[in-house]
Amino acid sequence: MDSKGSSPKGSLLLLLLLVSNLLLCKSVAALPICPSGAVNCQVSLRDLFDRAVILSHYIHNLSSEMFSEFDKRYAQGRGFITKAINSCHTSSLSTPEDKEQAQQIHHEDLLNLVLRVLRSWKDPLYHLVSEVRGMQEAPDAILSRAIEIKEQNKRLLEGMEKIVGQVHPGVKENEVYSVWSGLPSLQMADEDTRLFAFYNLLHCLRRDSHKIDNYLKLLKCRIIYDSNC
Amino acid sequence: MKENVASTVVLILLLFLNINLLNGYSPPGKPEIIKCRSPEKETFTCWWKPGIEGGLPTNYTLTYHKEGETITHECPDYKTGGPNSCYFNKKHTSIWKIYIITINATNKMGSSSSDPHYVDVIYIVEPDPPVNLTLEVKQPEDRKPYLWIKWLPPTLVDVSSGWLTLQYEIRLKPEKAAEWETHFAGQQTQFNVLSLYPGQKYLVQVRCKPDHGFWSEWSPESSIQIPSDFTMKDTIMWISVAILSAIVCLIIVWALALKGYSMVTCIFPPVPGPKIKGFDTHLLEKGKSEELLSALGCQDFPPTSDCEDLLVEFLEVDDSEDQRLMPAHSKEHPSQGLKPTHLDPDNDSGRGSCDSPSLLSEKYEESRANPPTFHTPKVTEKPENPEVNITCTWDPQDIHLESKISYFHAGGSKSSTWPLPQPCHHNPLSSYHSTADVCKLALGPVSAATTLLDKTEKDVVEASKTIETEEEEKTDKPREVESFPSKTDQETAWLLPQQKTPFLAAKPMDYVEIHKVNKDGALALLPKQKENSNKREKPDTPETSKEYAKVSRVMDNNILVLVQDPRAQNRVLLEEPVKEALPSLRQNQAEENLACFTATPDNCRLQMGGVDYLDPTCFTHSFN
Repeated sequence: MDSKGSSPKGSLLLLLLLVSNLLLCKSVAALPICPSGAVNCQVSLRDLFDRAVILSHYIHNLSSEMFSEFDKRYAQGRGFITKAINSCHTSSLSTPEDKEQAQQIHHEDLLNLVLRVLRSWKDPLYHLVSEVRGMQEAPDAILSRAIEIKEQNKRLLEGMEKIVGQVHPGVKENEVYSVWSGLPSLQMADEDTRLFAFYNLLHCLRRDSHKIDNYLKLLKCRIIYDSNC
Repeated sequence: MKENVASTVVLILLLFLNINLLNGYSPPGKPEIIKCRSPEKETFTCWWKPGIEGGLPTNYTLTYHKEGETITHECPDYKTGGPNSCYFNKKHTSIWKIYIITINATNKMGSSSSDPHYVDVIYIVEPDPPVNLTLEVKQPEDRKPYLWIKWLPPTLVDVSSGWLTLQYEIRLKPEKAAEWETHFAGQQTQFNVLSLYPGQKYLVQVRCKPDHGFWSEWSPESSIQIPSDFTMKDTIMWISVAILSAIVCLIIVWALALKGYSMVTCIFPPVPGPKIKGFDTHLLEKGKSEELLSALGCQDFPPTSDCEDLLVEFLEVDDSEDQRLMPAHSKEHPSQGLKPTHLDPDNDSGRGSCDSPSLLSEKYEESRANPPTFHTPKVTEKPENPEVNITCTWDPQDIHLESKISYFHAGGSKSSTWPLPQPCHHNPLSSYHSTADVCKLALGPVSAATTLLDKTEKDVVEASKTIETEEEEKTDKPREVESFPSKTDQETAWLLPQQKTPFLAAKPMDYVEIHKVNKDGALALLPKQKENSNKREKPDTPETSKEYAKVSRVMDNNILVLVQDPRAQNRVLLEEPVKEALPSLRQNQAEENLACFTATPDNCRLQMGGVDYLDPTCFTHSFN
C-alpha cells in the first residue's frame, strides 16, 4: 500500500476535481433555476439543453479519465479488453449505431433513449462508488471521479426529465431501464475477476456517457438550432 | 539406435531449415497495425506495418469482426488509404462498437497474423485541418487596427447536425519571429487579434479538435501584412507641426539677420581697431613713409584730455571768404572769400572737422615744404568716428568755446567750428588727422596753437579793426571778439581750423583761445591745454599761450598778421618741452615757407622737437 506516496498525488487530483466541480456547479448554477414547487417557472428549452450538454460532456470527460487511470494502474497486461466485448448491461437498449441511424430516430424517441440510459446507470454508479471506496488501494483519482459522475448523472437525469416534459409533455413513459447485475462481480474476492469487473464497468460507463453526450448534442442542434449548429 | 534415429531426424530438419534459410525464403513476419484514424466519426482507416519480408511476395489481408457479431469480414478497401491500409467507408463503420482487426500476411512459405487490434471509432477521431483561412486587417476609426481571422471547418466534418463539435485553436507570429503565439478560439470560426506590431508581416495557422478526439494538423500558413501605424490624422498633424516650426525658425532667422548686427555688437562689442592717433593713412597712400614713421613715434599716446581742450578750441570758420584761408595748400588762392571752398558750406556747418580733414589733406600736400613730423599723439579725436570711439570731452569747453567761436563766424559764411564741438561723421580719418594736428600743436610748445590762435586773433583783430571803429582794443577786443560775429566780416576767414586741416602728417594744430587782450593790446592766446593754465598774461610761452602783441602787417584781406612779442617770449607759463625750439623753428619755418607764407614766417612753421607744423597764419597768406 503506497497510500503515503499516492496521497499527495491523490489529494492534488481531488483538489483539481473539486475545483472543476465547483466551476461546473457554478456554470450549472448560473442558469436560472426554478425553485421547487414553482408552477409558472419556465426555464427555456435552450437553457435546458445547454445545461444538459454541459453536463453530459463533463460526465464523459470524467469517465474517460477514470477509465484511463484504471487501465494504466490495474489492467496492464491482463488483456481485459478482449473479455470486455459485448458485456455492457445497456447493450440491450437499441441505440443507434451510426449517424444515419441517429438522425433517423425521432427526437422524442431519442430523448427517451437518453433517459433510459441515464436511469440504467443510477444503480451501477452508486455501487461503483461504494466498491471503489472499499478497495484497499483506492486511488483518489478514481474515487473522486466516481463520486462526481454519480452526482452529475443525477442532475442530468433531472434535466432530461424536464426537457422531456417540455418537448414531450403529457407522456409519461414507464421507467424503462436496463438492470445492472454486475455487483457481485465487483465484490468478488478474486482480484483478477474483481478488477475485470471494474474494468468492464468503467469501459461501459465511458461508452454510454459518450453516447448520451452525442445524442444530446444531436438533439440540441436539431431542436434548438434546427440542424444548423 | 533410437537415439540415432532421433538425432538424424533432428539433423535433417535442421538441414531443411538451413536450406530454406540459405535460400532466403521464409514465411512473412508478423505484421502490425500501427494506426487507425477516423476523420469525421463516420469512416475510418487503418494502416499496418508489414513484418520482416520473407523474400517472397507477401499478401496482406485484413480481417475484422465487430463486437457482438461473429461474422468475420475482410477489409472493404485496401486502396483508398494508400499502401498497407484499409479504408472503412460509412457502410462498414459502426460507432460505439469495438472492431477486432487482424492482419494476415501470407507468402509461399507461410503466413503470419498480427495481434488483434481492438478499436472503437469514437476514440480515434482526428479531423482534417480547417479550411479557407482568411485574414483581414480591420481599421476602425477610433480604435487601433486589429487582425480578423476567419476559417471554415474541415469539409468532411458534420458540424451542423451536431454529430461532431469542433473546437479551434489559432496561432500567429510575425514572419521573422521564432515563437508562435497561440490562442484558443472555442467553437467559433473567427477570431480577433488585437495586439499587433504594425508594419509587420504575420503568419497565421489554425487547427481543430473534436469534442472527444485528437487535434488535427495545423492548416497551411496564411500571411498578411499589417499596415504601418501612421494614420492620416497623425500625418497631417505632424506636417502642420513641421510647417509651423519652419515658419518660426524663418522668423527667428530673419529677425537675427535684420538686427543681428546690432545684437552681435551688443553681445560682442566690436573691438576697436588699432589706430595710431595722428596717423594718416593718406601718408601711406602717398608713400610718405617718413611721416608715417614720425607719426608712429608719437609721444603721449593715447592723447590726454589736454588735447581735447585744444581740440575744443580748434575753430574753423567757413565762409565764402574762408576759402582764402582754407586752401592754403592749394595752389589756388581763391579770391577774397568768394571762391567757395571746395567744401560745401553745408558740409561745414557744425562739422568743421568734416571739412578740415579733406582740406588738411590738400593743404598738407601743397604746403608742406618740410614734411612735418607728427609731434604728438595727444590728440583726441574730434569728430567721432564710428570706428574710433575716442570721445573728447569737449563739451564743457566746447560750449565755452563755441560761444566764442561762434562769434568768429562770419555772418554770411557759414562758420564751421573747428573739429571740436560737433562731432563729425564724415571723413573720420581726416578729422582724426586734424585732431592729431591740433593736438600736436597743443602738445608742443603750442606754438602751433598759438599760431592758430594768433591767426584767430589776428583775424579777430583784423575783423575788429576792419569792422570796428577805432576802439580800445583792450576793452573791445573781447567784445569785438564777441561781437565779431555780428559784424560778420565775411572777409575774415577764420581759416585757422581749415588751415589746420591740411596738417596731415605732422602738423599738429594748436588750438588757441583768445584769452585776453593785455594792456599792450596783445592778444593773449591760449592753447587749449588743460594742464596749461588758461590764463596767461603774457603767454608767449611757446607751449601754451603766446602773446601776439605785435602786428606784423595787415594783409589784403584785412587779415592781421600777428607776431609774437619777442618780449613776451621769455615768459613761460607752461612748460613745454619744445618751447625752446620754437623761435628757431619759427625762424626756420619762416624761411622755408616764405613761398607760402607771407608774414610771420616764424609763425607759420614751427618746429617743435622734430614735429613740424604749419602755422595757420601761414595759410592765410596763401590766400592772398
